[in-house]
Amino acid sequence: MVATGGQAQDQSQNQEPDVLNPTSAVTGLPQKRYYRQRAHSNPIADHSFDYPARPEDVDWRSMYPSIQQGQQVSFADVGCGYGGFLVTLGEMFPEKLSIGMEIRVKVSDYVVDRIAALRRRCADTGAYQNIACLRTNAMKYLPNYFSKGQLEKMFFLYPDPHFKRAKHKWRIINQALLSEYAYVLRKGGLVYTMTDVEDLHKWIVTHMEEHPLYERLTEEEANADPITPKLYQSSEEGAKVVRNKGDHFLAIFRRL
Amino acid sequence: MCTTISFAEPEIVLGHGRRVLFVNPNDLQIFKEIELPPDLGLKGHASQSQESCPAAASTATATSAGQAPGGKEQQLAKQPEEGGTSDSATASGLGCATSTSVQNVAYSPDGQLLAVTTSGAQKALLLYRSRPENARLLSTRPLSRASSALRFCSDSSSVLVTDKTGDCYQYDCVEVEAPPRLLLGHLSVVYDILWSEDQQHIITCDRDDKIRVTNYPATFDIHSYCLGHREFVSGLALLTEQHIASASGDKTLRVWNYIQGKELLQHELPAPAVRLLVRQLEPEKVFQAAVLFYEHVDALGLYRVERSSDDTWSVTATQLVCAEAGSWSISNFTLTSDRIYITGAENERLSLRVYDIATGQPASSGVPEGWLKMVLDGMGANEEGAPPFIPEDLSVWFKKRFDNVSDYLERKKRRIEEQQQQKCG
Repeated sequence: MVATGGQAQDQSQNQEPDVLNPTSAVTGLPQKRYYRQRAHSNPIADHSFDYPARPEDVDWRSMYPSIQQGQQVSFADVGCGYGGFLVTLGEMFPEKLSIGMEIRVKVSDYVVDRIAALRRRCADTGAYQNIACLRTNAMKYLPNYFSKGQLEKMFFLYPDPHFKRAKHKWRIINQALLSEYAYVLRKGGLVYTMTDVEDLHKWIVTHMEEHPLYERLTEEEANADPITPKLYQSSEEGAKVVRNKGDHFLAIFRRL
Repeated sequence: MCTTISFAEPEIVLGHGRRVLFVNPNDLQIFKEIELPPDLGLKGHASQSQESCPAAASTATATSAGQAPGGKEQQLAKQPEEGGTSDSATASGLGCATSTSVQNVAYSPDGQLLAVTTSGAQKALLLYRSRPENARLLSTRPLSRASSALRFCSDSSSVLVTDKTGDCYQYDCVEVEAPPRLLLGHLSVVYDILWSEDQQHIITCDRDDKIRVTNYPATFDIHSYCLGHREFVSGLALLTEQHIASASGDKTLRVWNYIQGKELLQHELPAPAVRLLVRQLEPEKVFQAAVLFYEHVDALGLYRVERSSDDTWSVTATQLVCAEAGSWSISNFTLTSDRIYITGAENERLSLRVYDIATGQPASSGVPEGWLKMVLDGMGANEEGAPPFIPEDLSVWFKKRFDNVSDYLERKKRRIEEQQQQKCG
């Protein structure tokens, strides 16, 4: 896991003597083993979601206790998994509000618990008040949460490739959805995509290059972005890929 | 199988099974009818146009009003005409022919073209020229899925077809053989689609409670959403250049400024709405919205919607029409200025009933039993061996909201409690 100065490690590496305790006594952080859930989820089915009818109906203060008047969520990690990258985003951009969206029940609950634990530990500095996790289906409900041109950055890190051909429409990047993402992104906003599956990378690049509202950043531009190095390591998936010596395929796009 | 019924002055257009009937709203005389070719010819060979002309059929049927005999298409019927009734023409139809049926029918605004989509074994968009000739088939183009909505643009140059996966295709009606263009997609079934008058926007509504306003022709660019509904949105209607009405399974009828994505009126309905039809009574100002309800003691609600200022709208009158709901299975309806025409199933047979708007009672005058029976016969409702007509079960439109969160949270809570007890104990 990412270890930046002062940042505690995720507990999954250290075995607790009391193996039944879901929360580590040492760090106070939740232990992943209690929140395991299979990776694949059907985004088309009617899950149980409590979603708002419109962005104005969302109680943002309940998620971001120190939200300022008129402040809005700027960064969205779509499919945030166990929240590793979201935590990094919150640290890198303390002035911005970042949100993680995760469809799986247990996994999103883990992130919620993780954020709560981090906030408790940093109660005196007020850190981590700027990140939150939503359990929702980003493919269907983005416009319910975000108004037109609201987001500055969207992250699609190691999305589910849904390998079988029949499931291509379940992929989080497809032509129809790209128009919806363009709606919530402001002009000049950035979309970061990362995967270790080359086929999926090619699919993403093809679709986004075909879509008239996106242009791909050059390699120089991509490398100049301070977020780029974090994409490789911060997320749990990314770290796993590094451990397994897999490939990373990065593509960053600008919303025109 | 379904029925489609609409009022395109001066005709009521009825589509069911393999036929589309054009009928006089006053006395239900059949002006003309179209029958789907037994083989739509989707594999590439020329499709055969088959039309039953009333004049050639039984002498009891009326001649088409205003359509001169001179413009009739040659009958290329494979089946012999026995006694000249249209029933027998299909009775000897090919086996595969019976499983393809009419899904949606739409007239172009200029009245020159008629679009028909089919579902079942062969899914296609058929384009007919309806005037001056009697329904000449111009082209047959395949659809990848059965259509859910069909709408011409205001200058009649193209038609939009949506389907149950939420895709929306544009079919050119000038280049009648041109392949379709995929314009946009929703993630769930699109129930209705509109063009703005100036054709700058396309408005769609879906099962995920959304109304979306997309730019045209730059359909990759979403202009706005009209958000607020809490269940599927089953119908849309254009009111003015900037306003639309919508009806939903959440039991509301709403008016929106769709350019701003702003809700201007929300009116409670007694039941979920599954179809919406709006008639203009006074341009820009007064409209009649008719809503078909889902499983309610009254079949329809009629609402007078008035605009008192720029963005101020209200419902100023309400009328509920029972239409003997509950005693038959209602599938669709249309309206004229004084009557309501409702289709449905009675004992699994197609039925059509006509009601006076003023009284809400079955139309007393001017609808001779004979003509009504003729229409139903014309639709193939009473044929030997006709498949039972069971209107679509709309309960699937509602989202199955099952709670997979509470269970998990309960278990988690118990697990934490147990562990704490173990620590203390």
